[in-house]
Amino acid sequence: MASKVSLKVKGKAKAGKGPKSKEQSTCELVKEWTTWAMKKTKVITHYGFIPLVILIGMNSEPKPHLYQLLSPV
Amino acid sequence: MGSSVSLAAAPPPPVAPPPALPVGLAQVLPQKAEEKGDGKAAPEKVDWLDLPCPVPYEELQREALMSLKPELFEGLRFDFMKMLNQRFALSHSVYMGSMEVPSQSSDVIKVPSSHYEFGANFLDPKLMLIGRVLTDGRMNARVKCDLTDNLALKIHAQLTNEPHFSQGMFQFDYKGKDYRSQFQIGNNAFYGANYIQSVSPHLSLGGEIFWIGHQRKSGVGFAGRYNTDKMTVTGYFDQVATAQVASTGIVGLSYVQKVSEKVSLASDFMYNQMSRDVTSTFGYDYILRQCRLRGKIDTNGVVGALLEERLNMGVTLLLSAEIDHGKKDYKFGFGLTVGE
Repeated sequence: MASKVSLKVKGKAKAGKGPKSKEQSTCELVKEWTTWAMKKTKVITHYGFIPLVILIGMNSEPKPHLYQLLSPV
Repeated sequence: MGSSVSLAAAPPPPVAPPPALPVGLAQVLPQKAEEKGDGKAAPEKVDWLDLPCPVPYEELQREALMSLKPELFEGLRFDFMKMLNQRFALSHSVYMGSMEVPSQSSDVIKVPSSHYEFGANFLDPKLMLIGRVLTDGRMNARVKCDLTDNLALKIHAQLTNEPHFSQGMFQFDYKGKDYRSQFQIGNNAFYGANYIQSVSPHLSLGGEIFWIGHQRKSGVGFAGRYNTDKMTVTGYFDQVATAQVASTGIVGLSYVQKVSEKVSLASDFMYNQMSRDVTSTFGYDYILRQCRLRGKIDTNGVVGALLEERLNMGVTLLLSAEIDHGKKDYKFGFGLTVGE
């Protein structure tokens, strides 16, 4: 996915001005990658944060049993 | 607060001359020093280099907000918190009631809604993780981590399934000997910083600035807090400047008096510069053995009260009422909280 992004940007830059094109493409590259990373982080946090908390909690001392997780008592 | 080198390192005590033995008449007459000691107690000396650490900037008004902004709700609320461990807990929460939908006209539009919320808490002295997820997909996550003795990192995220509605905020807190500073980074290019300093054993002053990139808004605020055992006075002044609209400002003042161990009274005054709106609120907070009752009355004609009664070990009954005489909006709620 990263290579696709860089090819697209370089294509755009060639069509543009000469000396400025390299700077612009690095800037846009960084922006694209940051946005992509933020989107992935958002999805991972959305689905993974609560399982992470439960995992950390079940491994803390004294270790609770698995049935305590589901039973209402 | 011990790791930093104390500025108040005392100079070596001067060598005192050996006390002279009283001779002659001095043996008979009473010593002057004794007389002074029996009189009124000397006033406490203030050590200006050893002031207490102030309250964090966002908690400046915490006593006032506890009395004047109780969590009033409408409908049925049931909370169950199950401790699996000293540090790990799961929480289940059911809510059935009406949510207010903001509308342009003066009518109040309520939409019945209900949700179930599942949550997991992990509380450690150094690390705190709180996660909550609702049935409609919204997720609320809070992380608080003590990186060192003085530096703490807080992350707060509210994520939804709809695009562009999620929010996240990073906060770095640094606690010094008698000051606290905080730096915030949020989404929508939000940057903020605040700083609060103890100026005397009872008085602390602080300020904050923030900048929102996407809306081209920036703001400056100043706040002060005077705190004794019996009362707290806080004041704040905020100015927000936007690119298109003229700048707005809010001035506020609050006063809380602890009348006794069980009762405290609070009052709050707020002036909004843009809408030329003045609001004043008066409230009380009764903390009794079996219950806690908080109530408030407003100059907008809003009267509200919240009762939390401990029925039994671990079972708490909640009753909430809010009457808005101006908009003719009545909200009554009841609930039960099981678990700590």
